[in-house]
Amino acid sequence: MTWQLFVFMLINGLCQGMLLFIIASGLSLVFGVLRVINFAHGSLYMIGAFLAYSLSTLLSGESLLGFLILLLVIPPAIAIIGFVLEVTLFRRVYREEHLLQLLLTYALVLILDDSVRVIWGGDPRSVTRPDLLAGSVDVMGMALPSYNVFILVIGPLIAFGMWFLLYRTRTGNVIRAAVSFPDTLGALGVNVSWVMTSTFMLGCWLAGLGGVLTAALSNIDLGIGMEKIIECFAVVVIGGLGSVGGALLGSLIIGTGLTFFQLPFGRWALVFPYALMALVLVIRPWGLFGKPER
Amino acid sequence: MDHMTSSSRTQWISGITLIVILFVLPVFLNEFGRTGEYWIWVSTEMIIMALFAMSLNLILGFGGMVSFGHAAFFGVGAYTVALLTKKADLPLFLALAAAPFTAAITAAIVGWFCVRLLGLYFAILTLAFGQLLYMIVFQWYTFTGGDDGILGIPRPEILGPTNFYWFCLVLFLICFFVMKMIVSSSFGLSIKTIRENMERAKFIGINVRRYQLLNFIIAGAFAGLAGGMLAELNRFAQPDFLHWSKSAEPILASLVGGMYSLAGPAIGSTVLIFLKIFLQQIHPSMVELWAIVLGAAILVVVLFAPSGLVGLYQNIYKKFQS
Amino acid sequence: MEHGKWRVLLTLLLVILSCAFLVSSSASASDVIKLGFIADVSGIGAPFYKSQKAGLDMFIEEINAAGGILGKKLELVVRDAQLKPDVGANMARELILSEKCEFLIGPTSSAVALAVSKVSKEFKKVIFFHTSNAEAITTTNFQPYMFQVVPNTGIEGRGMALVLSKKPYKKYSLIGPDYAYGHDQLESFTKEMAKRRPDVQILDTVWVKLGESNFSTFIPTLLAKKPEAIYAAFWGGQLSAFIKQAKPYGVFKQAPVSSLYDLDMLRATGLDMPEGLTGYARAPFYAIDTPQMKVFVKKYHEKFKDWPADWAIMAYDGMTALTEAIKEAKSAESEQVVKVLGGLKFNSLRGERYIRPIDHMANVGIYAGVTAKSPEHKQFLIMKDVKEVPAEEVWLSVEEVKKLQAEQK
Repeated sequence: MTWQLFVFMLINGLCQGMLLFIIASGLSLVFGVLRVINFAHGSLYMIGAFLAYSLSTLLSGESLLGFLILLLVIPPAIAIIGFVLEVTLFRRVYREEHLLQLLLTYALVLILDDSVRVIWGGDPRSVTRPDLLAGSVDVMGMALPSYNVFILVIGPLIAFGMWFLLYRTRTGNVIRAAVSFPDTLGALGVNVSWVMTSTFMLGCWLAGLGGVLTAALSNIDLGIGMEKIIECFAVVVIGGLGSVGGALLGSLIIGTGLTFFQLPFGRWALVFPYALMALVLVIRPWGLFGKPER
Repeated sequence: MDHMTSSSRTQWISGITLIVILFVLPVFLNEFGRTGEYWIWVSTEMIIMALFAMSLNLILGFGGMVSFGHAAFFGVGAYTVALLTKKADLPLFLALAAAPFTAAITAAIVGWFCVRLLGLYFAILTLAFGQLLYMIVFQWYTFTGGDDGILGIPRPEILGPTNFYWFCLVLFLICFFVMKMIVSSSFGLSIKTIRENMERAKFIGINVRRYQLLNFIIAGAFAGLAGGMLAELNRFAQPDFLHWSKSAEPILASLVGGMYSLAGPAIGSTVLIFLKIFLQQIHPSMVELWAIVLGAAILVVVLFAPSGLVGLYQNIYKKFQS
Repeated sequence: MEHGKWRVLLTLLLVILSCAFLVSSSASASDVIKLGFIADVSGIGAPFYKSQKAGLDMFIEEINAAGGILGKKLELVVRDAQLKPDVGANMARELILSEKCEFLIGPTSSAVALAVSKVSKEFKKVIFFHTSNAEAITTTNFQPYMFQVVPNTGIEGRGMALVLSKKPYKKYSLIGPDYAYGHDQLESFTKEMAKRRPDVQILDTVWVKLGESNFSTFIPTLLAKKPEAIYAAFWGGQLSAFIKQAKPYGVFKQAPVSSLYDLDMLRATGLDMPEGLTGYARAPFYAIDTPQMKVFVKKYHEKFKDWPADWAIMAYDGMTALTEAIKEAKSAESEQVVKVLGGLKFNSLRGERYIRPIDHMANVGIYAGVTAKSPEHKQFLIMKDVKEVPAEEVWLSVEEVKKLQAEQK
């Protein structure tokens, strides 16, 4: 492998990692505050992707403006769906055992995924990339799609935004406090249920954003939710449940790993995320960035 | 419980009646030609999936441990039968006998790592191992046939649809009574003690990890047998048998049927399979809505009746008594 | 603790039994021939399904309007196999036993087809494959109740090796879906190429899961060894996604991609499709010059306001062959029809064709050409300079088939 190819593959892998991070960080954040593993996160991501497709057909989305509208409209729409789900369903099971929580979110997967089938049918869809992002840029004499570069820019922006929100704002302080000391938070006069609802909405917003970005990256079909949630799981477990920084690290490891291992290992490269996930769980169950459970 | 003796007598009578009905069922169904043959096939599948659900419930209901990787052992059993009969030309009965062993060995390796973790982390680690095994089976094209699976598992001449049904029913009943014995043995009591109060179990000298591991292996073995039987019924094995969404099926069955009794998951599984086919028979397009119906049903159970059908029945029965 | 559970079971069983018979008591009339279509309705096969269904519907409508076959009307029952072999096999069983279908029509995915073929064998019901085409269906997994009216992966892989061996490229990279179809096809291509052009080097084979639509991690690997040409064994939605994503990676600047450029795929890719790529189709309506095709295309266009894709044409041809066999056997029972399948001649839209007795493979070849813009079709590209590679030139010899069939267990 030449060093040019190495750099090219690294950049390409980081793009994949960034997209994964956007989706997985939502899952991790929700777990951190709500202590619920939301299987339906993948379904919300899928709904975001399909909504983006439908809206793009109305907007004739080849223009940059059309694509920006998708980016601005779809994620909040998913956040609103999240709001409804949190208030009507999730809230009722926070005190229940893990199994019932998992089953509740799994039931949502069944309902949401099948609703997508009923509404959009089984055809694969995609969103046309805006003209500005449809071409490619030269990296070390090789062509890299401009759209990947775009994701590579968006990803760190989101990461920075989340860092800023969590560490530099009052809301962030409350959210972090909710992660570390869920029991004492109420005593401090914070409206805990509001914190939970807004965190859940933020998680869904990220899922929606990931959906929009995916719809223009590749084809979308009925299976993407189930597939993505497992990838996100791997990311979140490797990085540490509830840790956004860990999700970033986990995403980048998996994104670059999948790109690099493809060449020497072929199809076996796809085993890597799960092998790493199991390994981390065995050696360090709380993940690379997480803290042991009290 | 003052009416204990009378209720246990009715229990015996209904139990035996049920077994007799199950045995004569195919004779009756055969009167209906092809439709009957279809329902024999469906009933066989129900029996197998009931066994799978019951095997999971040894860990889930009795052990109080949520496993999202149980399908891995089911799949290992299925591939054992497929590979041994197809590639090693072993007779079916030997292959089927080997299925619980390979599944148990796999469960021992996976379980050895998993039982060291508790609660949610246990669930996630089982999921990780399950997916890992799934991916290995999926990618190992030369050995497992990858995405194509293994097709055309031979079937001995004497095992026509009806005979195979009886064969599965006998296996199921044997497993049922073995499980009943396990659950009511001192081992079973210890497992339940661990579920109720792990600290107390440790205090009274139960080696928690070893008991949990043993329970995990036993459950894996039964799942492997169920997997082997399903492979033989379908006459093929495929990677989907190990997928995590397959692991969810017995959990849902246990939830619907009730996880604190032995037969609950079996009932739940049967009801679910039947509902699905019933929907399809009403109109093929109704199958499209199956997942929505199932999801809604689970929501209702989770929110309003977490003890399942059997629990519901017991509640109604109690109210009726008083 | 176990209180009452037996009674629950018992009640349940009775409820189930009574429901079961309420539902399944609907008897089927004997003046109807039921055809069970195990289709891949959703996912990457969705566009194909629409074309297949259109072709089948049209045929059935025509036959029924003319009074049916042997005085019996045809009726189509469809089930979705979702590209999953187990679902497909269960659906086939349900169609035979519960819906009482006497004949089956195969799906899109070869993996599903292999599973369904076993069910057809088990219940001795004739099935034809019009889209799924793994060569293994006719060799190592052959069973007499099936026949195939679509060029199989061997004919395709070897046919394209024949076509591409005349090109100057010496370094190929291969990419394909990781299941029966992809493996059969790329293996045939590699073997035939080695025979015809020993100087050609296969640099790498990249396997992608069937249905995977994000190629970002695979395309750089495909290009890493700098191939001069690429042979891709994808189809349908997956191929379309591959082409669209390959473009900004500069794949086409580096190496031309050869693959299955059927009408549905070309339509789905639209003007993202590069010009000048050598590819093939299984039954391109615009390039097959037979009188029956002209009539068919005209009728199809009038009915659906659309052009017939390869899948509509082959499904229609399969029905032609099946009804021909029913007429010749003078019976609408699979047991009788199977006897006349070997050697059966039928007048397909692609011209006169016959079913070879040894493997029940119709002598259907591929149509190779080069992608180009066309004045009649503004929204998508078609292929020009299309030439048929006749099946006889590239299919397995009878001896080879016999050898492979003997390996079957």
